Amino acid sequence: MNRDVIIQQILNGISLGGVYALEAVGFGIVFNILKFSNFSHGGVVTICAYVGFFISTRFIPSLWVSLALTILFGGIIGVLVEKLVFRPIRVQNKPLTYFFVNSITVAMIVQQFFSALWGSNYYPFPIFIKESVFQLGKLVVSKSYLVMLSMSAAVLIALSLFLRRTKTGISIRAASSDIHTPALMGVNTDFIVSITFSIAGILAGVTGFFLGMTYTVTPFIGSMILKGIIASIIGGMGSLGGGVIAGVLLGAMESLLIAEVGASVTPIIIYFAIIVLLMVRPQGIAGKLYSVKA
Amino acid sequence: MFYSKVLETTLIFSIFVLSVYPLSGLTGLFSLGQGAFIAIGAYTAAIGTLQYKLPPAISIMLAICIGIIGGVIVGVPTLKLRRDYFLLITFGFSEMVRALLLWMAQLTGGAMGIAGIPYAAGLPLIAISAIVIFFFIANINKSAFRRNCIAIRDDELATQAIGINVYWHKIKVFILSASISAYGGALYAFNMMFIEPNLFDWLESAKLIIIIFVGGMNSLLGVFLMSVIYYTFGEVFRFASVWRDLILGVLVIVVLIFRPQGLFGTIKTVFPTIRFPFLQKN
Repeated sequence: MNRDVIIQQILNGISLGGVYALEAVGFGIVFNILKFSNFSHGGVVTICAYVGFFISTRFIPSLWVSLALTILFGGIIGVLVEKLVFRPIRVQNKPLTYFFVNSITVAMIVQQFFSALWGSNYYPFPIFIKESVFQLGKLVVSKSYLVMLSMSAAVLIALSLFLRRTKTGISIRAASSDIHTPALMGVNTDFIVSITFSIAGILAGVTGFFLGMTYTVTPFIGSMILKGIIASIIGGMGSLGGGVIAGVLLGAMESLLIAEVGASVTPIIIYFAIIVLLMVRPQGIAGKLYSVKA
Repeated sequence: MFYSKVLETTLIFSIFVLSVYPLSGLTGLFSLGQGAFIAIGAYTAAIGTLQYKLPPAISIMLAICIGIIGGVIVGVPTLKLRRDYFLLITFGFSEMVRALLLWMAQLTGGAMGIAGIPYAAGLPLIAISAIVIFFFIANINKSAFRRNCIAIRDDELATQAIGINVYWHKIKVFILSASISAYGGALYAFNMMFIEPNLFDWLESAKLIIIIFVGGMNSLLGVFLMSVIYYTFGEVFRFASVWRDLILGVLVIVVLIFRPQGLFGTIKTVFPTIRFPFLQKN
């Protein structure tokens, strides 16, 4: 395989990796605060993919407007899921297993709801960008991939600014290390948890929209969150920066492997590599290992 | 005829639920890869009988062995870590097994699946298996094994502090669960006579966990009742199977909020005890 093909594959992979990074951050930010694996994130991604599809095909066939509306909707859905499903058991101080069971139930409900309503059909997004590629020397850069990459980067930078510069962001970071202590300092924990879920929902909105744009919209698009979760593990669970790096790496790795050994073997290699990685370096890139605390 | 078929399917799926019960209900470990062990069992049994012309009994044993090997591969690196790693890796493992089954097409038939498996598991075998497995787990429920499981579920650190080897105990539970799943998978293959890679995705594994929590994670009989009700309804009202899952989903959220012990969680059962010496240690 020559060098140009490799660089080309890496370029394509990085833009998909941006979406994985968004998934990893959306998954990790809830994990940080409440310390459970939030599978409902996949459900919110699915809802957003459908919402993005309906807005862009039925109402406003414009990329930016429908993307913005989807993001807004994602944020609202995130809060709604938190209020309806997680708030009641959090108030009762239930063990983490309950959170997990509820989150996986949400994922199941969403998938089955869309299967029941619209069947397992494929819904393609409209083509937003007419002239889809431009040449860069020998490389071909797809414009929709470029939009995806820049948008993912913009969202992640905005999120990192939000977490570092605003008071709410700082409280979220404080709550990540311990959710009880900030409450003693006058932080409204319920509000912080809601904000965290809405951030995850916003990220899910971007992810769902882009996944729908790259592939097609099906009820099973939520299972794509597995790639984000894998990125989250490689990056070190709960480390947002590590998740971003791992997501981009995973995307590049994946498209290289697909070009090299084929699409059917790639998942086998990736998942096997994850099992080996957990044996060798479970703390991931960021070196953050969550263990059970008393 | 129809009702005996419904009963067979229900009992096979109840075996799957029973196999997850010690893992999820008692120990609080969640495996989204239980479908992978079911698939491993089913495929090993089918390939053993069809391609290597082994008798079904030996294929079933082989299926259990390969299920145990799979359990060791997944369990040894992940059970040392926090529970979430175990959960996420089992999820990845189920996808890996699915990809493997699709890839090794000359052995597994790829996406076409394997058809024409001999019918070797009728209602008597399935019913006896379900009853034996039920009583086996019911007996575990009286042993120190179960108390250790529940201790790990409630507080892993404290359990370690009393001197229980948490890691080793988790591996034992996981392998027990994987082997029963593989056995159930082999029965499934010999009963349905057709298998394909997409039969057991993560959603099926998730449903097994959800049924345990709706039925009541501390009551084995409650879990068994719930799984019988759920799968019987699914077979009788096949046209409404998607809506059935929606109802189950809403039910589990309501149950966990308002009745955390589960729908049948308060049923206490008395079973005859057989003492398994290897469970009584510690």
